[in-house]
Amino acid sequence: MLTVSVISAEATVFEGQANSVVAPAFDGEVGILTGHAPMITALGQGTLRVEQSGDTLRFSVAGGFLQVVDNQVRVVTERASINR
Amino acid sequence: MAKGRELKSRIKSVEGTRKITRTMEMVSTSKLKRAQDRVIAARPYARALADVIADLYSPALAEEFPLLRQPVAMTRAAVLLITSNRGLAGAFNANLIREARQLLGRLRSDGAAADLHVVGRKGLGYFRYIGAPVASSRIDIGDRPRAEHASELVDGLMGDFVAGRLDAVYVVYAKYNSPLSTPPTADRILPVAPPERKGTARDYLLFPSAEAILTALLPLYVRNAVYRALVETAAGEQGARRTAMKSATDNAGEMLNVLRRTYNRARQAQITQEIAEIVGGAEAL
Repeated sequence: MLTVSVISAEATVFEGQANSVVAPAFDGEVGILTGHAPMITALGQGTLRVEQSGDTLRFSVAGGFLQVVDNQVRVVTERASINR
Repeated sequence: MAKGRELKSRIKSVEGTRKITRTMEMVSTSKLKRAQDRVIAARPYARALADVIADLYSPALAEEFPLLRQPVAMTRAAVLLITSNRGLAGAFNANLIREARQLLGRLRSDGAAADLHVVGRKGLGYFRYIGAPVASSRIDIGDRPRAEHASELVDGLMGDFVAGRLDAVYVVYAKYNSPLSTPPTADRILPVAPPERKGTARDYLLFPSAEAILTALLPLYVRNAVYRALVETAAGEQGARRTAMKSATDNAGEMLNVLRRTYNRARQAQITQEIAEIVGGAEAL
């Protein structure tokens, strides 16, 4: 399991567990699964998908970065909003 | 009983004022709660940005980033003063304005030209009144500053700094320690002072590279400093107003006690006098 938090400049948009995360990196999508090596990558603009067992949450993000360390995924972006 | 009637109308008027100040106190208490939530909600982002910048930053990289450039000589600086749009908050705005004036004075006595950018009606009104030049102003931000407001405020200044037209940018705001402690604070936001690294750095895979990530994140860090200044000032304003209105309500209560006492004494004195007159009249018969 991954612990994911999506943090925008104004508030923490999401915090919770997920099986995998697919994020729009600066040069294309990047997928994160459990056990990923520590990584920091710059983000571009697009849709962030947080896959939980059963359903997928989608967020619009723009800029910022994604950090993975010890199964903790932090998506830090200037603007983030959840798409329903 | 002319004096009695006068007192009565003063009592009425103070009661009315107390009603207003008490209501304002309650309104700011609830606004304060929400403003404080926004201050707290903004913290994880600031912390995350600072952590990562501290991890990636090394002094060797410093020269490559225009936002970190230490100016050779201070010839032109910008001061961004954040005040509130409304008054009735005690010395809140006056303190911020004083802090900004001191900073401007310091910069100018060091031989630098200093531009003043003002947010909030109160600061703008003051500098217009004393006839000081204001480079730019915004009075439309209000109680709920958003991240976009911060970008709009600081992006131009960042451009000027990168282009070498500015050597430093300061922001003057009310630091929000608690509702009762909102000291006026002047922070230098440009050149960026990289945050200190806590503990040892981890070995990260970096995409595309440390430099590229820093290039992308430093502007975010500067914008976030301004956003935080905006939300903290907004919360500080409510805290200061609550305190000011609470003491106004208390003072009105004290004043009412004195007035009522005086009124009752005057009323009693008058009754005593009337009785004395009647008794005197009856004796004369």
